[in-house]
This record gives sequence, structure tokens and C-alpha cells, in this order.
Amino acid sequence: MSDLLYLTMAAGFFLLAIAYVYGCEKLRGGSQ
Amino acid sequence: MTFSAILLLLCYFAALLLITKPLGAYMARVFAGERTPLQRVLGGLERTTYRVLGVDPNEDMKWTTYCVALLLFSLASLVFSYGALRLQGVLPLNPQHFGATQMPAHLAFNTAVSFTTNTNWQSYSPELTISYFSNMVALAIHNWASAAVGMAIAIALIRGFARKNAEGIGNFWADVVRCTLYVLLPLCLIGALVFMASGVPQSFAPYTTFTTLEGAQQTIAFGPVASQEIIKQLGTNGGGFFNANSAHPFENPNWLSNLFTLIVIWSIPASITHTFGKMVGNAKQGWAVFGAMAALALAGMLICISAEQAGTPHLDAAHIQTAATALQPGGNMEGKEVRFGIVSSALFADVTTGASCGAVNSMHDSYTPLGGLVPLFNMLTGEVIFGGVGAGLYGMLMFAVLAVFIAGLMVGRTPEYIGKKIERFEVQMAMLATLVLAASVLFFTALSSTYGAATGNLNNAGPHGFSEIFYAFASGTNNNGSAFAGITANTPWYNVTLGLAMLIGRFLVIVPLLAMAGALAKKNAVAVSSGTFPTDTPTFAGLLVAVVLIVGALSYFPGLSLGPIVEHYQMLALATH
Repeated sequence: MSDLLYLTMAAGFFLLAIAYVYGCEKLRGGSQ
Repeated sequence: MTFSAILLLLCYFAALLLITKPLGAYMARVFAGERTPLQRVLGGLERTTYRVLGVDPNEDMKWTTYCVALLLFSLASLVFSYGALRLQGVLPLNPQHFGATQMPAHLAFNTAVSFTTNTNWQSYSPELTISYFSNMVALAIHNWASAAVGMAIAIALIRGFARKNAEGIGNFWADVVRCTLYVLLPLCLIGALVFMASGVPQSFAPYTTFTTLEGAQQTIAFGPVASQEIIKQLGTNGGGFFNANSAHPFENPNWLSNLFTLIVIWSIPASITHTFGKMVGNAKQGWAVFGAMAALALAGMLICISAEQAGTPHLDAAHIQTAATALQPGGNMEGKEVRFGIVSSALFADVTTGASCGAVNSMHDSYTPLGGLVPLFNMLTGEVIFGGVGAGLYGMLMFAVLAVFIAGLMVGRTPEYIGKKIERFEVQMAMLATLVLAASVLFFTALSSTYGAATGNLNNAGPHGFSEIFYAFASGTNNNGSAFAGITANTPWYNVTLGLAMLIGRFLVIVPLLAMAGALAKKNAVAVSSGTFPTDTPTFAGLLVAVVLIVGALSYFPGLSLGPIVEHYQMLALATH
């Protein structure tokens, strides 16, 4: 159970980081 | 400062200067995809790796594709390491029969994150926790991969400055594979042999038990140390084979291995400044960055060595001789190995925290308040004093963007750097990367300073206890990995919060910097005019140093005041706490 919790936490962080990538790209498009 | 200290500093910087140009030029050729002599030997392995991975090394990736590939690669390798650590009991090469009992889930999370992010923070005693297999596969793989990823990001950012009207910033897979095969592998082969020649063991035999002179049984732990030691230092990883890290005689047996270690740690971070200069077509740009890093490094070394050599009023009050003589090192020798003495220990502390290495040959917790402030501040600059492999350069380029922005504000002109206009988006990305580091360090430090379960794990109260927490999150967020010590960190609280700090400090800095690389690559170059602020001069290096210090001071002065600064004044007043 705890393994699932920690792996989900790690996966969740990387999903957020990928969303951050596209957020920055959107910001770049907006600033041009 | 003693004569031997000055001599050691001169020899050290001379060695770095000798390495920087040839290694930097070689790395520029490797990352440009030019033919090198090693390609004849390892070219087949490189092509096979691409075929196995199913990637086209000639595909020029947009920054978003490059960054997502990096994030997915890091996630996959993190999950792999987590699994290998938790399952070490059923995996081979485990003569000590370590299992999941030694590696609970929260520790496996912290350890897998730590090695994925190039931090190598260790909440555990390796020789009492980790099997040979886990050490060599689950952890050492990251010593290579995380270093290569750091290099890839720096190279992608350099391409952003060097390219004109380009969509792509390179190929992530090709950058990682080339770095591993043509830079890290040959240097590690040579370096491992040097370590073995200096007495570092390389063995798969089980630990040996001896009977001591008093008749007691003592277990001597060893293993494949030399092969891990070299990539630990070269890749600015820092995770030791032993809990005592580079203070252990099997990791760092003598003064020669110590000096070699110091040179190895900064060899790539220093050389990549020349790679930068070569790739942007003006070597002086690289030397300006090198100069700024060296100035910050030298200032820290002088303060730290002087503070440690001066000792403390407590030692004077106890009538302990603190002056260096031919027979004893003097100063504050608490927590330092007698075979290294004051200067080699303090220099090591500066080098390891300037780089995001984190290997230690002395106990930073035992330094004088000012001596301990220097390693802490080195990390709080964002690891740009030569810094981690790749990470030091991309961090310093982030500050360079801020420096030209500030210079532009002062003269009322659109800032430029390496022929590229620095506009709103680039400054936004540089600020996001800067702020996320400060936010993570300060938030987690504040939380842990007020949470009972966290403060209960400290060995010291008052400002020194605060410094221990501050240092831990500075080290975690900035992916250093060294410990001030004094905290029992192997608890669910510290393992989880430090794990999150390491993830934030690594990946939430990389994303905006790669976004900046993508935006810069798309731009055309602007012609140099009489109004262009030159960035390849000592004046710019000085401005860069000032920006690093100002950002560090503005972000962290209150924290430093509560920790080492107040402790320094307490020490002067001979106060006890």
C-alpha cells in the first residue's frame, strides 16, 4: 500500500512537471 | 592563511585551468556530433544504443519534446530504482542479505528521488542498508544518467544561444548517449584506475571479519568502491559507498586521492564553460563565466579556510593551541580527518558544495559558524560556483540573463546576451527558476522548524539546530546531497519532504530553462553595435558575481541570520546553548 502511495506521488509530480512544460509554452506563445 | 594553504589553492586552480581548455574543446566536438578518435572504438555501441531505444539521433527536437523526453526518462529510471531497492532481498549480489526491512518505502522513495535528481542525499548508512546489486544497478546507473541529463540540459541551453531561427534545441537521447560514452566512460575508466592505485578497493567479496588486538571481532565492509567512487565525483553525485563518505579511508585513502578527488569534482563543471565559449563562437564568453565562478569560489575558500584555521574562543579559553605549527595543524580540527588537516578539509567542503557533489571528507556540522556558513551559502547560490555537471553552467547562464536584464534597465536599452535579445519571456523563465529554489528551501525549512516531529530529530537546539534544518533543505533543493549532520533524517517526515524538495529543485528549474532555450533558438541574432553591453569582459564577470550575491543575500539573509550569523556572535561571546 505504501509502495503505491510513494510511486503515485512520484508519478503525480512528473505529470505536473509535464503540464508545466506546456504551460510555459503557452506563456511563450502569449508573449510573442 | 598558511603558506601550504596558498600553495594548495594555487596548484588546484592551475590544475583546473590546465584541464578546462582541452576537455572543454573536446566536449564541444562530442556534442556537435563531430568525429572524435573514441568514435572509432565506441561508435558501434552508440548506434546499437539508438537502435535498441528506437530513436533517431538526427531528429532535432523542439524544447517541449526534449523536455518531456527528459521527464519521462527520469520518471522511468526513478521507478526502476525504487523497485530495485525495495526488492533487493530477492535480487542477486547480496551477500549481507539486506532486504526490505533495511529499505522501507519512505526511504526507498527518498533514495530513488535522490539519485535520479543527481542529489545523492543519503538518509541511511549504505554499508548497513544496500546490497551490491542495488548499489551498482539501482543507484550507480543514476550516477551516470543524472550527470548525462545535467550535461544535456546545459548543451541544449547553449544551443539556444548559438542557433539562429531554429525550431529545435538538439536530440535528448543523442546528447545523453554521447555524454555517457564519450565523456563519462573514458574519464571514469582512467579515474577508477587512479583510485585503485591509491588504495581504494574494488571487490565483490563479502565483508571480512577480523579479530582486533583487544580480542574483539570487527567487520570490515568493502566492495566495488573504486568504480563507484570515480563516477560519484566526476558526475558530481556525491553518494558514498560508505556512510563516512570521502572521510572513509577506503574511499579517500590519502592526500593524493584527496587532491585527485578535488580536481575530478570540478573538472567537467569548469571545462563546460569553455565548451560554452566554443559553441557560441567566442571563447571569451566562456572565460567570463569561468572567471565569475572562480571569483566566487576563491572568496568562499578564503573565508572558510581562514575561519577554520583561526579556531574558536572556546579552544583558546581551554588553552588549546590553535596556531598551525610544523607538527600540528592548529585551528578547529573537530570533525576533520588528521590525514587531511584544516586546509584540505575546508577546501573539500567548498568544492563539494560549490559543485552539487555532496561528497564530504569532514563533518560540516563541526565547522565554526562562519566556516559552516560558506558551504551553506555555496549551495544557496543555486550551485553555480562551477556547480553540478551541466547544472552549474545552466544555473550561471540563468544569472547571466538576469545580469544583462539589470544592466539593460540601468542604461535603458533592450538587453542582449550572446547576440540574442533578452525579452520578457526569457526574464520570466529566469525568475521562475530562481524563485522556485528559494521558495522550496524556505518553505520546507520553515515547516520543519515548527513541526514537532521534525524538530524532535535534531541533536542541537537554538541557531545550530536551525542551521541543521536549513542546510538539509538547501542541500536537497539544490541537489547537493551533503549533510550538515545533526539530524536523524531517516524518518517518514524528512524522507518525504526532502524527496519533494529534490524533485522541485531539479525539475521545476529545468523546465523554464529549457523553455528559455527554445525561445532563444527561434530568435535571429542581433548585430553588435556601439550600444551593446559586452559580456565577454571582466566587468561583466564582476556584474555576474554581484547578481549571484545579491539574489542569494535577498533570498536567504534572514535565514542565515537566524542560523550561522547569530551562532557566530554567540561564539564570540563565549555563550553556550
